Amino acid sequence: MIYKLFEAFDKRFGVERAKAHCDVPCGIYDPIIPQIAALTVVRMIDLMTDLEGKTTDKNLAYFNTLSRYVAVKEEHAEKLKNDVRVIWGDYLKAQHLEKYPQAHALVHEIMALGSKVRQTTDRETALKLVEKLNDFAQIFWETKGVATKRAKAPYAPGLELVYPNL
Amino acid sequence: MQQVVASCVFAFYLRMFQLLKVAGDSLLPEYQSGDFVVILKISGCIRLRVGDVIVFHQPGYGVLIKRIQAISPDGQEITAIGANPASVDSRIFGVVRLRDVLGKVVWQIRKPG
Repeated sequence: MIYKLFEAFDKRFGVERAKAHCDVPCGIYDPIIPQIAALTVVRMIDLMTDLEGKTTDKNLAYFNTLSRYVAVKEEHAEKLKNDVRVIWGDYLKAQHLEKYPQAHALVHEIMALGSKVRQTTDRETALKLVEKLNDFAQIFWETKGVATKRAKAPYAPGLELVYPNL
Repeated sequence: MQQVVASCVFAFYLRMFQLLKVAGDSLLPEYQSGDFVVILKISGCIRLRVGDVIVFHQPGYGVLIKRIQAISPDGQEITAIGANPASVDSRIFGVVRLRDVLGKVVWQIRKPG
């Protein structure tokens, strides 16, 4: 009876919720995963450009190899977008976003660039994506109080990444 | 005249108490999702004790309800946990600051069934 009374009050006026929140938070987040995915996108564009330049006979083998490069580029571009969304949505808290208000715009830029590298084979766009992910990694490690360093990735395309200086 | 008095008393209670609805299962079996709780808002004369169920605002998480496990000697930091091992509580986000506590539960209205 009394519960029904409160329930009716809630339906009419809307009672604030107190969350007895349950989750299984692993607490493991690392921007290196989307950073490497962005490098992979650049690498696929390089391989596609190289293949296009050296292949005169556009035979079945050519299309097979090219489509595999495109598929990997697609997969990694989408993966990095998802990984960044998870860090942004699950790891970054209100206090982080107060300190780094540019994070929202940065994530939005990464989403847009992530789509652009799927639509095109423009290397400059892919390089810009790598740099935006470096900016994102910089913010991430700063929220953890971990110093960073820039170093060239030890594999092609050998671009500079922001790493935690552990 | 009686209506005026009743309105004044009601307004007084509104300032001291707040009605909230529980959402989530971290305090099962004692509190289940859908229960209503009335909290006595924190003021100078309210003393929190270990075992009290409190409602507080946790930055990044919103308004949460948990049980007090420990209170620092100066009373300013509270360890609040759920009954469920998967509960997101002080084991995840650290201590709760006293100034973020909205109040303690003084009445639970259980969801039937």
